[in-house]
Amino acid sequence: MPANPVHPRALDYASSFLPGVIPQEAELTAGVIIEPGRRYGFFTDTTLCIGCKACEVACKEWNLLPADDLKLRGHSYDNTGDLGAMTWRHVHFIEHIDNKAGGRVTEMAPFQSNWLMMSDVCKHCSPAPCLEACPTGALFRTEFDTVVVQQDICNGCAYCQPACPFGVVEVGREDGKAHKCTLCYDRLKGGLEPACAKSCPTDSIQFGELSDLHERAHRRVALLHEQGVTTAYLYGVPDAPRETPGHGEGLRELNAFFLLTAPPETYNLPRAPSRPANRTGPGLATGLGMMAALAAAAIGLFAAGKNGRG
Amino acid sequence: MRQSAIRSGVLPNPPPLAGAKREETARPGNSDHGAVEIPTYYDLPALKQSFYGWKVSTYILIAGIAGSSQILAAVAEFTDAQANQNVIRNARYIALGGSVVGAALLIIDLHTPTRFYNMLRIFRPTSPMSIGSYVLTSFGALSALLAAAQLRRDLGGGPSGFDTLARAAQIPAAVTGAAMSTYTGALLAATSTPLWAAMPKLLPASFGASAMASAAAALSLLTAGGSEQERLHRVELIASAVELLLVAMLPGKLRDKGIKTRIGVAPVLVAGAAPLLHQIAEAVERPRSNRADDLAAQTRRAVRFGKASAVAVLAGAFLLRHLVLRAGNESAKRPRDHFRFSRPR
Repeated sequence: MPANPVHPRALDYASSFLPGVIPQEAELTAGVIIEPGRRYGFFTDTTLCIGCKACEVACKEWNLLPADDLKLRGHSYDNTGDLGAMTWRHVHFIEHIDNKAGGRVTEMAPFQSNWLMMSDVCKHCSPAPCLEACPTGALFRTEFDTVVVQQDICNGCAYCQPACPFGVVEVGREDGKAHKCTLCYDRLKGGLEPACAKSCPTDSIQFGELSDLHERAHRRVALLHEQGVTTAYLYGVPDAPRETPGHGEGLRELNAFFLLTAPPETYNLPRAPSRPANRTGPGLATGLGMMAALAAAAIGLFAAGKNGRG
Repeated sequence: MRQSAIRSGVLPNPPPLAGAKREETARPGNSDHGAVEIPTYYDLPALKQSFYGWKVSTYILIAGIAGSSQILAAVAEFTDAQANQNVIRNARYIALGGSVVGAALLIIDLHTPTRFYNMLRIFRPTSPMSIGSYVLTSFGALSALLAAAQLRRDLGGGPSGFDTLARAAQIPAAVTGAAMSTYTGALLAATSTPLWAAMPKLLPASFGASAMASAAAALSLLTAGGSEQERLHRVELIASAVELLLVAMLPGKLRDKGIKTRIGVAPVLVAGAAPLLHQIAEAVERPRSNRADDLAAQTRRAVRFGKASAVAVLAGAFLLRHLVLRAGNESAKRPRDHFRFSRPR
């Protein structure tokens, strides 16, 4: 009996048996070395998406998330509906079937102008509204500049849920804690690229260092414009178009940014969401000012009644 | 058809630039008839609504009553402690009771209540919930100290070192009480829920005015009558008038920011007008007669009006918070409210 019993056919591929784990597998699969202290994120190029949903499946498998309901929602091939506590990748499908005059389209511009498909994910914003809202410190910024919820600290106050301007993070009814995409924090620590990026067959989802991704994305947009796709633009980068930047007052940028070819609202994304924490200071100041004014009025009313009526 | 277009080499005009407004044809599920310019993704929500319900609206009311009670206790103590003994006593007990019940409501509302203490794990100045956790804790501690001193006084204890220490705690209690009355408004506004985010100053201000009115109303219900109740009624009147003014401004503010979800402020306005009606009723009653038995009946009626007005103020305060909460959750489900609110400025 051999010490390591192996099926005879597997011996054909003996070189697959490695002595150990590849230390930086991301270098092979994504061309990026993962080191703490650098900024990482996603560049999702929707013109390359084929709607296969490998990203959804890989995410669920790696993170051991429960499956979604398998019923059809009637929204094209979208069967997830939206991101949530147990769904961290969600593919959008938009079909431009009619030509606005009620007839069928007979001519198309290049690159899927009649099919819009996009893999939605947590944007890992800088600064992150969910992180700024969290009172327990469960949400924190990792050494890879991503945003993660620590499951052993969260007490389910659910304040991060309305804070997110993209409707991503949600408190799970099943376990009472907040959940969202971790950008595969555990894989990053092991030198592996995130599961969705690895499984994407067309490299629509690209993982890498933010500066590299920005460069790549700008080059891609220029190429698309040359090829006639003049509607292509970047959403979530610092120098995004003024009309549809993907970040508004106070939000600097999104670590997971997108290349889109239609208005953001078509993909269920807001044009320029603002940073909620910008409203904390003015809100508290106004409230306290109001109470001070009312207290002064109360002093006046109590002091006036003091003389003459015992 | 597709193949022939590509083979013939004919390319149609590309779709208009991403930023340009374009006509959106009516699609099934297009429920918002007013805004044809903004597309949506099958009318599906673009945000998650909060899980906040009656427990949170009740907490906001109780926190306001407790907090503003300490403000009134401080006002009463430092203008004329002797003449306002009932107000001070009731205020201090309400403040402690409100802190305890309020904290219990919040803990029950957590989705993992066993870890409630994690609220004090860090201090995050960007988060009104973090600020509020510390406000609640310190207000509760100060109120406990003041209630203990009050209890000692009620049980016959004379002036002592403890009494002086407690009296010094009244001002910090009033300051944290002011925070208790309004931080919840800032908490709602510091989210992405369009209806709340549209009113970052109006919401805390209206909650604060409503808190002062409800504290005065609650205290007046517990005070038997006489000059103390008179003073409380006057505070209730002024605070309610401010609250009415601010609540009346809510629909206009929402319209300006592009929020189509309505709050339905009518019941709040009606309930908040109660003290005004009470004053008018009193003014009408007063010159009627000078006979002794008529005066007694008039006093009884005045007391009943006063109590009814106070109950109405409390009901209106709860309605304000609950309706704002429900309307906010509604607006989070409407993608166009969020898209209109998030346009670049």
